[in-house]
Amino acid sequence: MKTSRRTFSILLLFVITSLITSNCASATPQVATTAPQQPTVQAAAPTQAAALTEVVAQPTTAPAAQATSAEVDPKSVFVYAHPTAFPDLDPAKSYSNDSVVTSNCYETLTFYNPPGSKDILSPKLASSWESNSDATEWTFHLRPGVTFQDGTPFNSEAVKYSVAKTKELGVGAAYIWDSVNEMATPDENTIVFKLGYPAPLDLIASSGYAAWMYSPTAYEKNGSDWFNQGNCAGTGPYSIQSYERGSRLVMTRNEKYWGGWKPGQFTKIVFEISQDPVVLQQKIESGTADFTYEIPADNIATIQKNHPEIVVYNNPSFQNLVGLLNTKKPPLDNVKVRQALEYSFPYQQFLEGVMGNRATQSRGAVPVGMWGHGDNLTQYTYDLEKAKQLLTEAGHPGGGFDLLMTYSTGDLDEQQLGELWKAELAKLGINLEVRGMNWEAQWDLGKSDPSKAQDIFVQYWWPDYISPYSFLKSMFHSETPTPFNLGYYNNPTYDQMIDKANEIAGTDRPKSAQMFIDAQQILLDDSVSLFFYDRANQHLALSSVKGFMDNPAYPHVVFVYDLTRG
Amino acid sequence: MYCQGLHGSLVSHANPDNRRENRMRWFDYLLRRLIMAVFVLISVSVITFFIARVIPSDPAAAWVGSHPTQELIAKARLQLGLDRPLWVQYLRFMGDLLRGNFGVSVRTHQPILNDTKAYLPATLELVVVAMIIAVIIGIPLGVLSGARKGSWLDHSTRLIAIAGVSLPIFFLGLLLQLTFFGKLGLLPLGSRISNDIALNHPIHVQTGFYLVDSLITGNWAAFRDASVHIILPAFALAIFDIGLTICMTRSSMVEVLNEKYILAARASGISERAVLFVLALKNAIIPTITVIGLSFVYSLTGAILVEVIFSWPGLGSYVTNAVLSIDFPVIVSVTLVVTVFYVIINLILDLVQAALDPRITLN
Repeated sequence: MKTSRRTFSILLLFVITSLITSNCASATPQVATTAPQQPTVQAAAPTQAAALTEVVAQPTTAPAAQATSAEVDPKSVFVYAHPTAFPDLDPAKSYSNDSVVTSNCYETLTFYNPPGSKDILSPKLASSWESNSDATEWTFHLRPGVTFQDGTPFNSEAVKYSVAKTKELGVGAAYIWDSVNEMATPDENTIVFKLGYPAPLDLIASSGYAAWMYSPTAYEKNGSDWFNQGNCAGTGPYSIQSYERGSRLVMTRNEKYWGGWKPGQFTKIVFEISQDPVVLQQKIESGTADFTYEIPADNIATIQKNHPEIVVYNNPSFQNLVGLLNTKKPPLDNVKVRQALEYSFPYQQFLEGVMGNRATQSRGAVPVGMWGHGDNLTQYTYDLEKAKQLLTEAGHPGGGFDLLMTYSTGDLDEQQLGELWKAELAKLGINLEVRGMNWEAQWDLGKSDPSKAQDIFVQYWWPDYISPYSFLKSMFHSETPTPFNLGYYNNPTYDQMIDKANEIAGTDRPKSAQMFIDAQQILLDDSVSLFFYDRANQHLALSSVKGFMDNPAYPHVVFVYDLTRG
Repeated sequence: MYCQGLHGSLVSHANPDNRRENRMRWFDYLLRRLIMAVFVLISVSVITFFIARVIPSDPAAAWVGSHPTQELIAKARLQLGLDRPLWVQYLRFMGDLLRGNFGVSVRTHQPILNDTKAYLPATLELVVVAMIIAVIIGIPLGVLSGARKGSWLDHSTRLIAIAGVSLPIFFLGLLLQLTFFGKLGLLPLGSRISNDIALNHPIHVQTGFYLVDSLITGNWAAFRDASVHIILPAFALAIFDIGLTICMTRSSMVEVLNEKYILAARASGISERAVLFVLALKNAIIPTITVIGLSFVYSLTGAILVEVIFSWPGLGSYVTNAVLSIDFPVIVSVTLVVTVFYVIINLILDLVQAALDPRITLN
């Protein structure tokens, strides 16, 4: 009895060991070919080929052990190593990095083109659009013959449903549709939006959040949870095949995509989630991922040196860092003191020493590359002598006062910015307290009585739809209550100017842009904020992937439909 | 002779009255512990709920997103019931909980029960495998080390134990990745399965434990793949427990091996292996079991570093993200889930200890 039990144990151990070892053996060539030293671009292709030799097409719901024999070309699988999970895949509520997934499944009525394009917008699900003279009524003519992935026709009723549902749920960026009072559907391919106040609805309709068009049938039948279980129902080129929450999401071609398919386009997308930047780096270096970001800036130069097969895309984002100055509290209620602070920050030293290639000094409140950015706006420079002179003129020779700067805990860039600035202000006799707070606490302090709040509120800003109004209204408009005007700036002339610029943004964009630029000059003259830097996005891709175009309007999104493998 | 039952229960096979009395004692003990468990859960829920709400945060603002308007915040406050007194919110939360509704994350808008169901099995699988590794390696080494006190084996084992408990887990994880993925190319970098399997042989999820699911569906390719993927993270997680198990087992063994009944057993000609692994270990293992049990519960949310380093989609990462974003419904719900595990494991440990050592009573 004892002997047979021992024999059985040994056999069991042998079987398990054999099973595991056999897999190790099969894994070895995969890893060996993906070793970090890949000298050429050509080497990347066999790497992927080796890694995915067993790939075959198979529906998610098929029994596990029944693989079909239809093999997928391993080169046609695009692997995106992504640093965060996808919190909400519901197209009506999605308001985070899940847009990297939703943007491959859903589409918007209009599309915001990358900086440098001839036009700001391109047609997407709407083939054309127009507004009345005061931008309170917008008519969108829809692309005919489009269907959602569940077979529901895409038409004006579907648009009406998507916008109404998103508004009704009121989550994320749903507020971008606030101006819409009524929607009329005169025919199947025409929808008319009637607004309560003028708004650039063509820009709003291009947003990467809350502007996706989704199947009314699917939403009504399945509800929100269904989308987060790994399903989608858009008109886009890819649908979700499988989803392991927090780990991996696989998308597969929508063969009936209205745009059609050409040879060389990817058939599958795999999003592999890893929160560890070291793992992301190893994946792109070993060629097991085609694309990634959030790699530590210090490692980028080494990657570029050792891995010629990896391309680093370094482009401006539409995100900037500002330091809002408390205009209601002494001594910063004095414009000369605020100007002194503008001259006290060592912009270039900070950008070169801390940020590297990850940022450029801002020029005004609207980031570079976005319409409404002004190339000729005032840009403050580091000049301590000028700062001393301004302090003396303000009645504070030799400084002699304390300031409190708050920033969001955990952001090392903001922390280093504060420490560096503190040292410079000490030279002016100003004591700066650099206080890291969790965002909620920092925000609560900012929303409290301005006379007791912080002196300098450091925060990032980015737009939900691409308009200068997002920056200029949210952080500087004097309407009450003002959740993010945490410098408490109040200038009716400025308010009227940006409100007017926004009203005509849909009808006379060049004039609107100029008015936004003029408004920024007012902010700069009044020194209501330090505009530290416009952040850059650094994306890494294998050079074998062709056609990638970074578009800051859709942060970190890869429109895989546009790509091929060279 | 070697039968060591519960306070005489197992040695009293012949006496039906004693057996009945012992059964009643077990039943009373279980009942008392279950009542205590309810109080523990209520206390933990109260403490966690109110602490989570005392922290400066606005769940309504978190619910509507990063650029909320005042109107949206006000609407969300009503929708989430945050306009009501705190104690009403607590009672409502507990009422929902009793009906199986864990609430919704204010950050992701997802039902917490769905998230927990998705993340818990991954962590449980990892922790169970890590504990098995710790027991398989730690206990024999601890026994041999204790039995050969002062020998080279003892010194080497103690060195392993000290290294195990003192090596930072993030460092060990990176070291394992660099060695077994980067240099040797033997094991994968992370994740629960490879892309090949996800695309080619997807696991038909039934329990959420990939090893189990792949086995019961006969998906051998996936089983092999999942086994290979769990080796490094499980070992990284186990290394601390290996060290702890060695230390605890060794010191207990040293003590037990000096007992007279061991001397008697040896004198009566029982083999050394039986003396060590049957007679001595039975008494020496009690503190080790306690430590392993508590470590198991701790690892449910404490495995965060391993989960991040090895891209393991578990409860640790989920809770950490919730804490960082002050997602209080998630914090409270997951704390309660872990507390339930803690209470259950603690109860099992007490019963096992009592069963192993007649000196421990259930009173």
